[in-house]
Amino acid sequence: MFLPTFSDFLFRGLEMSAPIAFCALGAVFCEKSGVVNIALEGFLSVTAFTVVWGSIAFQSVWMGLVFAVLSGVLMSLLHAVATVTFRVNQIVSGVALNTLAEGVGRFLSQKVFEQETQSAANSYLFPTVLHINSFSFTLIPIVAACWFVLYKTVFGLRLRTVGENPEAADTLGINVSGLRYVGVIMSGVMCGLAAMVLYPSKWVNGMTGGRGYIALAALIFGRWHPVYAVLAALLFGYADTFRYMFEAKIPIPSQFVQMLPYVLTVVVLVAVRGRSRAPAADGIPYEKGE
Amino acid sequence: MRKTKSKYRVLESLSPILGVLASILVLLLIAMAIGETPAKTLNGIYKFTLANAARQATIFSVAMPLFLAGLAVAVAFQANVFNIGVEGQYFIGGLVGALAGIYLRLPVYIHLPVVVIASMIGGALWAAIPALLKVRMGIHEVISTIMFNNIATALVNYLVNGPLSGRGERSLEPQTYKIQATALFGKLNNWFNALGLNIPKHVYLDYSLIVAIVMGFLVWFLLYRMRQGFEIRAVGTSLEVSQYAGIRVRQVQLTAFLLSGALGGLIGLQEIFAIRGVYTFEIARGLGFDGIAIALIGGNSPVGVIFSSILFAFLKQAGYGLQLYTSVPNAIIYVITGLMILFIVVTNEITTRYIRALRRKEAA
Amino acid sequence: MTLLKMDAITKVFPGVRANDRVTFDLQAGEIHALVGENGAGKTTLMKILYGLYRPDSGAISIKGGPIAIKNPRDAINRGIGMVHQHFMLVPPFTVLENIILGKESQTAGVLRLEEPAREIGEIMRRNGLPVDLTARVEDLPVGLQQRVELLKILYRGAEILVFDEPTAVLTPQEVVELFKTFRMMRDQGKGLIFISHKLDEVLEIADRITVIRRGQVVRTLLRSEATKPLIAELMVGKPVFLHVDKAPASPGQAVLEVRDLRQRSERGNLVLDGLSLEVRAGEIYGLAGVEGNGQSELVRAITEQARLEGGDILLQGRSVLAWDVRTRRDRGIGHIPEDRHRYGLLLPFSLAENLVLGQHHRRPFVRGSVIDSGRVRQYARESIEKFDIRTPNELIPANALSGGNQQKAIVAREMRFDPILLVAAQPTRGVDVGATEFIYQQLIEARERGKAVLLVSADLDEILSLSDRIGVIFKGRIIKELRQEEATRELVGLFMTGERQSA
Repeated sequence: MFLPTFSDFLFRGLEMSAPIAFCALGAVFCEKSGVVNIALEGFLSVTAFTVVWGSIAFQSVWMGLVFAVLSGVLMSLLHAVATVTFRVNQIVSGVALNTLAEGVGRFLSQKVFEQETQSAANSYLFPTVLHINSFSFTLIPIVAACWFVLYKTVFGLRLRTVGENPEAADTLGINVSGLRYVGVIMSGVMCGLAAMVLYPSKWVNGMTGGRGYIALAALIFGRWHPVYAVLAALLFGYADTFRYMFEAKIPIPSQFVQMLPYVLTVVVLVAVRGRSRAPAADGIPYEKGE
Repeated sequence: MRKTKSKYRVLESLSPILGVLASILVLLLIAMAIGETPAKTLNGIYKFTLANAARQATIFSVAMPLFLAGLAVAVAFQANVFNIGVEGQYFIGGLVGALAGIYLRLPVYIHLPVVVIASMIGGALWAAIPALLKVRMGIHEVISTIMFNNIATALVNYLVNGPLSGRGERSLEPQTYKIQATALFGKLNNWFNALGLNIPKHVYLDYSLIVAIVMGFLVWFLLYRMRQGFEIRAVGTSLEVSQYAGIRVRQVQLTAFLLSGALGGLIGLQEIFAIRGVYTFEIARGLGFDGIAIALIGGNSPVGVIFSSILFAFLKQAGYGLQLYTSVPNAIIYVITGLMILFIVVTNEITTRYIRALRRKEAA
Repeated sequence: MTLLKMDAITKVFPGVRANDRVTFDLQAGEIHALVGENGAGKTTLMKILYGLYRPDSGAISIKGGPIAIKNPRDAINRGIGMVHQHFMLVPPFTVLENIILGKESQTAGVLRLEEPAREIGEIMRRNGLPVDLTARVEDLPVGLQQRVELLKILYRGAEILVFDEPTAVLTPQEVVELFKTFRMMRDQGKGLIFISHKLDEVLEIADRITVIRRGQVVRTLLRSEATKPLIAELMVGKPVFLHVDKAPASPGQAVLEVRDLRQRSERGNLVLDGLSLEVRAGEIYGLAGVEGNGQSELVRAITEQARLEGGDILLQGRSVLAWDVRTRRDRGIGHIPEDRHRYGLLLPFSLAENLVLGQHHRRPFVRGSVIDSGRVRQYARESIEKFDIRTPNELIPANALSGGNQQKAIVAREMRFDPILLVAAQPTRGVDVGATEFIYQQLIEARERGKAVLLVSADLDEILSLSDRIGVIFKGRIIKELRQEEATRELVGLFMTGERQSA
């Protein structure tokens, strides 16, 4: 029957899009403050491990959440220190962190679970509601909250200023470095949340599967706006879910669906060239008084 | 042109050294945290990397593709082009080269160079679209190349599982047909043995070594002895001064980008043509990203890349050594490498600013 | 009432006394203009006032009470507001957001927009500065953007308002509006500092005028005693006259012809307004004028491809407009750039490489595509000797040379390429006396050898002593041409400030 399949699709799609959406939200905060972050993939692979580790170690899904968010914060702190305090090239820092992250999960898994490529099974999970991980539903209020914070609060206004015109912000007495730190750390926090809904039952090496990059694509596709970026993430996630659920019935090879987010992003890049909505100071380290 | 002399040379070369030392320190600390003594840790590394000729040769073997990766990225970086797409360029370049090796029937002496050229063309083609997007439309190459990396993986996945699949080959992983014998890269071990170095059969020192050396030399010659290379370095130093001097900046960046892609296409030579003999989806990943780190640590110069690629190869092997002889897992090497990059670039920033301040005081 | 007093302010940077015992005061209800040439020290003084620099010595007091200004936040809190020349606005944000930035009203972090909007509305009404608060700043014309900057400082209760070259980017209509606003604020008892080198405007609006030259206050005049010739003379001052030996000119054919050049800036202002001039072989044509009247745009149009609205540029009779930079250089246009740091040298590269930069793609420096480093180095050594560049050898990086030697290197390079037209923009800026003399000699020698030299300089003495003919540029046009014999400082100065227009 079609009906159960449709609601199934609706909810499964939400669950599959959520990790991408959370990461994209984090990227919005980070880049809006002026820091480019290509290490989302790395952040996610670390948090995907720590959620399992924390849950099992403390026998509580809430500790898993704490571990995930904390590890995301730690990773993003490295990026923040390198790029904001030491003004290192942001792409380079991202590459370094991606490399580092590749080793962290495997190393810890080996030490904690005695197996390098996968962890033990984690049974401490959020309850399943409507056949999906209930944490997925938090995406909706969180997106709303992020939008509100970015556009309706003092903090959000200043954060966005720092990414657009840090000199102006400085002359008005706004703390550029401090706000950039917060922006970067937010991306770590969000990657922690993403891990809660990715596959917290077990960590497997490589399970992130490029989602960090799809999140980047969603960020750009959504023109650096929290709501649109999440919508883009949903678009990509649902497309993948569609393929997954109706694989046999569509003639398009799965790999082309896989490519879709990236191709779409390139198309968007071309279409809006010259009117890019990236924050004006995105990617440029800020030096006081130079 | 002879390299310019700078009295701050010593300071400038400090950062890689400090970075490496700091990372080794971290490694030892982590090892101790797990319960291994520093002595045992270092010994484990030594046994797998430097203990005998075979081990040392393996480092060179592993360094080969890393060197090409670093070279590819370095060329682009010299022109201030951030080609993050080497990962995708080597997938596609390798595939095109493999196709030339599978479907063309040529005598050995022609087939081998053709395969190399085909790989370069494949890599350059894959770099062409982001390059044109940058030069014609000003679209930033970091994002476009990252996107193209992922498009490449999906595309290759599809092709190898589908139209190009070597049906009838008995193997667990999807792959193409086998590459013709005339295109396979033979080993050079006999030559080395003749020179008195005892290299066992399982260590891969093959024709790709020759390619790497030739390419290294050609790139060096281009950058430091040819007009086009001079312009590449000028553009990478200052776009405005280059424009003022009449250099055709967009052309130069396009050329550097395409060249970078072409070199990237060669990264897979060793694995595809020497080790495996087929093209599969399982070829090594991450070499493109490694190339970025290698280029940066090597200061974007061919000579520097030689050293940093050997360093990376050493680290990779060190990881296996740790795994084998101590209880430290191999994966630690990724962590150490990542930290090392960070240490080096941070130290670099600090030294650069310090030198700039010194220079300013001098000028006053 | 004295709103502000800056007493014996001194600020020294490596190599230059930007402010030398400057004493300056501002009364309530006054518009006080600060005039001087570029580099005279006006901007430094204002940056000190705004908290971006700290003075090395001297005192500042506001309403009689001595204070120390530590940073811009401090300055803002004390009622000092600055409308910068380059706006400190966030283009994608609305006017309201830009104004309240840093001084937002909030409840527990949430922005409150109604009260500020009302308050700002009041300020707009009181000062006659209406702007749509919901408009995005990037959609506004420049004049309104400036108004937003002004509202920013009024919103923060500024009583001392500093305007740094505010009319540079405005259309004439917008200037009229701005001055109306100035008068209104003055009548409210505020004190305005107006930095400009447009003497027409200064005389129109200022109550008092302080002239600064080379870091020192020359004089403070009342409006009643000020005339343009007087101000011009004070600005330009007594010459440090470098004696130059020159044989009389015997110019040949016209090498450079600029015909009716027209160009608009991005904002829409006409920066080149029908500019025509001619430079002949064997002559030095000096372009005199206060900076900002189109000199840079003219130089750019001659040396690179620029977007022009109309007109033509001819080199020996052929239009250059379609040629890219390389072609222009190959065909004989040499260019000493006005900002050597940004444009002239590849600092990390060796001196030798820099000495062939621009012609490095031709023989004998290159054989095929391969660089002949032996030839390059030999050529470099010749240049170093001929032009007396002080350096241990030709291989050291360019950033190790002193400023004067760097400039000599650029001059050496451009001259040795033997151009038919040499465009020299501010060739001795930031260069010590010895190197300056040398560069003058070289320019004269070029002229002797039949080159056409276009000399663009803000240094009037330089122009007067070197040029065979002088063209005064004003508001994007050449308004007067003089021969060297008939040109005097006073006369040229008058044309430069627009006091006299050509008949």
